[in-house]
Amino acid sequence: MNKAQLHLHACLECDLLIDMPDVISHRTNVHCPRCNHSIAMGHNNAKQYVLAMSFTALILMVIACTFSFISFSSNEQIRTINLLQTFTELYTQEYYFVAVLVFSFILLLPTLYLTSVCLIILSTYRNFEILPSVWLGKLMSYILPWSMAEVFLIGVLVALIKMTSMADISLESSFWAYVIFAPLFTHIVSVIDSHRLWDWIEQARASPHG
Amino acid sequence: MVNSIKPKTAANSGLVNCRVCHQLAPITTTHCQRCSTALSSRVKNSVQISLSLLVTSILLYIPANIYPIMSTELLGKTTESTIIGGIILFLEHGSYFIAVVILIASVIVPIAKMFALAWLCYCATRADDIKQYELTKLYRVTEFIGKWSMVDVFVVSILVALIQLGEIMSIKVGFAATAFAAVVIMTMISAHQFDTRILWDKVD
Repeated sequence: MNKAQLHLHACLECDLLIDMPDVISHRTNVHCPRCNHSIAMGHNNAKQYVLAMSFTALILMVIACTFSFISFSSNEQIRTINLLQTFTELYTQEYYFVAVLVFSFILLLPTLYLTSVCLIILSTYRNFEILPSVWLGKLMSYILPWSMAEVFLIGVLVALIKMTSMADISLESSFWAYVIFAPLFTHIVSVIDSHRLWDWIEQARASPHG
Repeated sequence: MVNSIKPKTAANSGLVNCRVCHQLAPITTTHCQRCSTALSSRVKNSVQISLSLLVTSILLYIPANIYPIMSTELLGKTTESTIIGGIILFLEHGSYFIAVVILIASVIVPIAKMFALAWLCYCATRADDIKQYELTKLYRVTEFIGKWSMVDVFVVSILVALIQLGEIMSIKVGFAATAFAAVVIMTMISAHQFDTRILWDKVD
């Protein structure tokens, strides 16, 4: 591979060859001139920013899993659930397929995605890879379409509107953690474009293994 | 304006683009040097795979609508509701907002998606004079709205978890939830397998 090819990029949606600029200024997008597919977005200190945001999101996820989610009372009976019960209840009703899907889409995959990006960024700073970065990058590109944190949030809101007419609902701390987590996750995903991600992976690999 | 110069694409420059890490490699390379993903200039049999998954999802959409998505037990009396039945129930109760959200997420979006994918597959194989830019836009919308159909499954999962007060009031899942989740997954993979680059290959 010669040097000129390193700056070439083929649009994923229309295969047009594009010369990538060396520096993309802050908050400007590089679009494919033919099909307008967004290829890269400039950010001044994406690495620190993404690392900080991902840590925040991971902490919020831990909070969302530890405390109670929503409590529901009707006729002097109270039921409080935590986030995990949204799929364990499906599991006990023997709907294993749906239970596994809900678990992966709202919890496992977003967490894996954030953990992977944190590990990749950390290995660009430190001189060793905890897990192979290339492998993590591939994993991230496969799980991204299946992370549905924001969809789940809308689902929760719809369910809440549905239930307020039936009983008293009170929202617990874990609910608020997830309310912040879902938009934050969407924001992080929008900052990590694959162009930049693979740059980080190259950096992580370039650092000597120790 | 007819442009006589062919636009420079990776394929006609003897290069192949990695779908995972977006690195270019000479067209004869079988695996990406950086991420060792199998390389091919276009997704192989993309339209056939998309279409077959699309047919699967259409077939699964039938049980998703026939069987109940959940059954509510209120003071010993059990009522089962399908997706459409649930929407009608909300309209009767006057909760138009939820009715519209569920209608959009579980009826309009999946059906629109199926039509969009069918149209894309048709244009990619049969039609000669196609509007690449508009079709690519259609594809992007299809890919974006895909996961939003899962809203209904999530609503059911929350209701089932929360409303468990034994005899007084409890909710159970129905088979339609499984079928509907499968519909969403099938249409998502179908959209993912469709390669928009074959639309642009028709530009001469």
